[in-house]
Order: sequence, then structure tokens, then C-alpha cells
Amino acid sequence: MAGTRPALSNNTGVRKQVSVRGPMHHFRSASVNQQGEQAAGAGREEAKMPAAQPGTSGYAVELTGCTKEFPTSGGETYFAVRDIDLKVEPGRFVSIVGPTGSGKSTILNMAAGLLTPTFGEVKSFGEPVTGVNRRASYMFQQDALLPWKTVIDNVSLGLTMAGVSKAEAHAESRRWLEKVGLKNFADRYPHQLSGGMRKRTAIAQAWIVNPDILLMDEPFSALDVQTRQIMENELLQLWQESDKAVVFITHDLDEAIALSDEVVILGAGPGSTVVGSYEIDIPRPRDLLDIRDDPRFVALHREIWGRLKVEVSKTYESALAEEGEAA
Amino acid sequence: MTILGSRKPGSTKNGSSAGQDRYTAHRQPRRGEMSALAMRSVQLLLTILVLGAWELLGRAGVIDQFFFPLPSDIFQTVWLWVSSGFVFPHLWVTMQEAILAFLVGAAVGLLLGFILARVRFLERLLDPFLQMFNALPRVVLAPIFLLWFGLGIWSKVAFGFTLVFFIVFFNTLEGVKSVDRVLVDNAKMLGASEKQLLRHVFIPSALTWIFSSLHISVGFAITGAVVGEYLGASGGMGYAIAQAQGVFDTKGVFAGMFILMIAVLIIDLLVNRLERHLLRWRPVRSS
Repeated sequence: MAGTRPALSNNTGVRKQVSVRGPMHHFRSASVNQQGEQAAGAGREEAKMPAAQPGTSGYAVELTGCTKEFPTSGGETYFAVRDIDLKVEPGRFVSIVGPTGSGKSTILNMAAGLLTPTFGEVKSFGEPVTGVNRRASYMFQQDALLPWKTVIDNVSLGLTMAGVSKAEAHAESRRWLEKVGLKNFADRYPHQLSGGMRKRTAIAQAWIVNPDILLMDEPFSALDVQTRQIMENELLQLWQESDKAVVFITHDLDEAIALSDEVVILGAGPGSTVVGSYEIDIPRPRDLLDIRDDPRFVALHREIWGRLKVEVSKTYESALAEEGEAA
Repeated sequence: MTILGSRKPGSTKNGSSAGQDRYTAHRQPRRGEMSALAMRSVQLLLTILVLGAWELLGRAGVIDQFFFPLPSDIFQTVWLWVSSGFVFPHLWVTMQEAILAFLVGAAVGLLLGFILARVRFLERLLDPFLQMFNALPRVVLAPIFLLWFGLGIWSKVAFGFTLVFFIVFFNTLEGVKSVDRVLVDNAKMLGASEKQLLRHVFIPSALTWIFSSLHISVGFAITGAVVGEYLGASGGMGYAIAQAQGVFDTKGVFAGMFILMIAVLIIDLLVNRLERHLLRWRPVRSS
């Protein structure tokens, strides 16, 4: 098993390069996909065995002792997160859950290379992340589609910027739009779409460059509950067909458990750190619409919520105390 | 600069979904509100009323015809200027000056705006100087430009430039700096280089700011040209008005004003068209 890992990371590395240079059908060939899926399956299985010692180069995302401080306007330093250790293996779906202000987005931004940790090290597939993490795509909480580009131009963006010809990028974009159910909306502008449709566009935009890692920052938090469940289901389906590592930020524990292989709990901020990590051993494929009645789901939810509750009430109490001081 | 807030929602081109139909339905005149046609007729009535009163009061001797020539006389002069072709060379000179001032001012304003917005050092270095020049009432520059560039069009172009440049420059600077952080991060994550960021994110974003100031800067370009001509020139609308004033021909002054007004209205209409086309992706639109 240990032998499969370097092969996997090599494999994915090559594919990313091809995706940047060559025509689409090269890296989308069935054989590569199959290989990727097998490898991902192996990775997931292996991850459940704590005894397995994966080589350090194998982690899709690896944060070691990462601390991030920001200077405040008062000249002091504000610790967003402290001593974060996070390891995400290729093909794993990991959720980070924490109370408001626990620095969830800071962690994701460090993994993306959008923020540099004050102390500590960020690695991706064994290489230190300097600048933007080229092997990751990011789905933002807010709308990040360019409002002046049509849906298809937005989806094509990652490809056209990598030098793929417009015709080819559009062809690939149409495939993706069909996949996310927006075939007939290619020429619309983002403001002409509903919130759910904009999220689908964002998914297509992030996936089309075939990243090895997907960083998602509460991507569905702005949606209504029903749309959200549908989107979660679709995301899971897309992910199951791929071999991508996902780091998913949410404050919704239900969502985290339903989607993930692993749920990481962050403590109350500021200066929060990882306070717990839970394996979610609910078998896949999962049906998200019924999963909340699954006894295993209920048990895990009770266990994790017991831990998270402590941090949430800490945050709530300190917010109250601050309000009291302000008054 | 809350342009967005002041705009009314407009119907969208592809508005076929139920939500958008409901949106457009909102724009139907509410009960008790006048239709567009009725409003136009009332506006026409108001015009006739004001001009008629002016005409009658002038003929009755209540208003001094020397200082306020009769509307009928003014229109006669306008017709004379237009039909004889006298006004067109002057109009052409003014438009040339305005267009040149606008193009050069906008180009330099854009360029400098982008550079300063992206290079923090330069912005800090040049900020006090730019503020100083901006604080200078631009009209006082006209005499010195006249000396530097002569009576021809270039002194007016230079004068219009100083007016247009600052509007475009400050709007570009603000536009680039106020780009939504998430859009920049997203483009970066998708692999954008600095050049691609500029092309796909910063320029389109700044364009909304620049276009919202387009009406003002076009207006300033024309103002610059006319004021410059008024102070000293050999042609142009400002020159024609100054000539008429020189011989106490108030009819000529008013006729010049009227023709200039119509010309600017037409240009504004074209600018509106252009703006609507270039900002077609925007959810709200001026109506």
C-alpha cells in the first residue's frame, strides 16, 4: 500500500501539467481517470488504518505548526490561528468545522497560498507552497464569478488563462455546463442566474482545470436549505467520480458529517487550533437526502457535537463579555 | 460615487425567467402615475408656456429685448447660422478640440491610474502633487496655455486635457483599488498572471467607474474647448459666441448657446448608448 502513494502523486502531477499545456482530451482519457479513481479509492481505504505511515510527500495538503497573526489597527497582533496541524491525503474529503471567528478561512487561504503563515510550513504534495498553490482550485463563500463575463467565459477562464485556445476551452466548458445542468445558460451573465446556478457555474469553473485539491469555503452557505442539499449531493457525485482531495469549510456539522471522510474541529478564536479530528466511517456512496436518519450519522453527530458545543459556547460567552465591556 | 445605488433597475435583454418578468412588471407605471407619452406632452406644454411667456413679455416691453432677445429671433438666428452653414466649421473645431482633449486625457488618466493603483510606492510619492494640481482652479491655466500653444486648437486641447485627466485618473485609481478582493483571489487561483489579472479583472472593474464618470468627463472636454476658445481663438463655438458678444449681438450669443446645447445632448445620447453596450453585464442600468 505504501508503494501506491508516490505513484499516485507522480501521476497527478503529470496530469496537471498536461492540463495546462495540451488539449483537453489527453488528460481526460478514460485510462487516466480509472487509474486516478483506483488510486483514490486505495488512498481512502488506507487512511482509515492509523498504522499506515504515508510518505510525507503524499499529502495533498499539509500544514505543520502554522500560526497566522495579523496586525490590528491598534498596533497589536491578533492571532487568527495558532499551531495548526492539518494533513489531507489525496482523494480524501476533509471538513473543517468551528465556531464563528475560529479562523477557518485563514486555514484555507494558507493552504491556497493566498496567505503566508507567520510561523509554520505549508506543503502540497511534498512541495512547500510559495505563492498561489497551483494544484488547488478554490470555491469562495461569496460570488467570485466575474460579473462582466458570460457563464461560458467564466467557466473557460482557467483554461484560456493557461493558454488553451478559446474554441477548445469553450468546447470543454460546454461539457462542464452540461454536467452541472447549465447547458442553456452559457451566454447569460452571472447576475441573470439564481444563487444555485451561480454556485454550479463556480463548481464548473473550479473543476474544469482538473485540480488535485479543491478548497471550498462555505460554498453553499448562501443558498436555501433545499437547493443546498441538492448541491451537496451533486458535489459528492462529482467528487466520487474523481480523485481529488477536498478541504471543505463549514459551520454546519450536519453538512460536514454527511459529506466527509474526516471532520476536523477548530477551537474558539482568536488563536484557535485543532481540538479534535473524527473519522466518518459511514459507507459510500451516501444518499444525502436520507443520511440524517442513519444511526451511524446520529451517533457521530452526537459525539462530535459534544466537543463542538464546548467551543461554540466559549465563543458565545466571550462575545457576550466583549459586548458587556463595550457597553 | 454610489452609482449603483442611485440607479433604477432596468429590464434585461434576456429577461425571460419568471423572476425577471416579475422584475420588469415592477417597472410598469403605477396607478396614478403618468405614462411616458403623457409626460412628454406635459413637458412640451411647459416648454411652449415658458417660451410663449418670454416672447409675449418681450413683445410687451416687460423684458428688455436687447438683453433677452425674443425666442423667435433666437431661432431665426439659429436657422440662419445653420442654413448658411456658418456654424458648422466652428462646431467642427470645437468637437475636434473636445475629442482630442477627451482621448488624450482619458488615455493618460487611465494609464497613470492603473500604474499608481498597482505600485503603492508611486501612489504615495505622487499623491501630494496630484492633489495640488487638482486643487488648482483649471481656468487659470487657460491664459498660460494660450501663450504656450498659440491660438490654434492645441491650447484648448491642453486645457480640456487638464479637466478630463483628473476625473479619469481618480476614477481609475479608485476603481482599481476597490476591486472585489474575492474576484482577484479567484482569478489568481485559476492561474492568472499579473497581466491577465489586469486584463480580466482590473480593467473591466475600473471601466465601470470610468464609464460612470464618462458623462462628466465628456462634458468637461467640451467645456474646456469652449472656454479656451472664448479666451482667445481663431475658430470654434466659443469664438463664434465671443464674436457675437463683441458686437452686442445677444441673439447670436443665445443662438450659439442653443446650438452647443443641442450638440452636447446628442453626444450625451451617444455616450449613453456606448455605456449601455459596454456595461451590458451589469444587473442595474440607468434608465
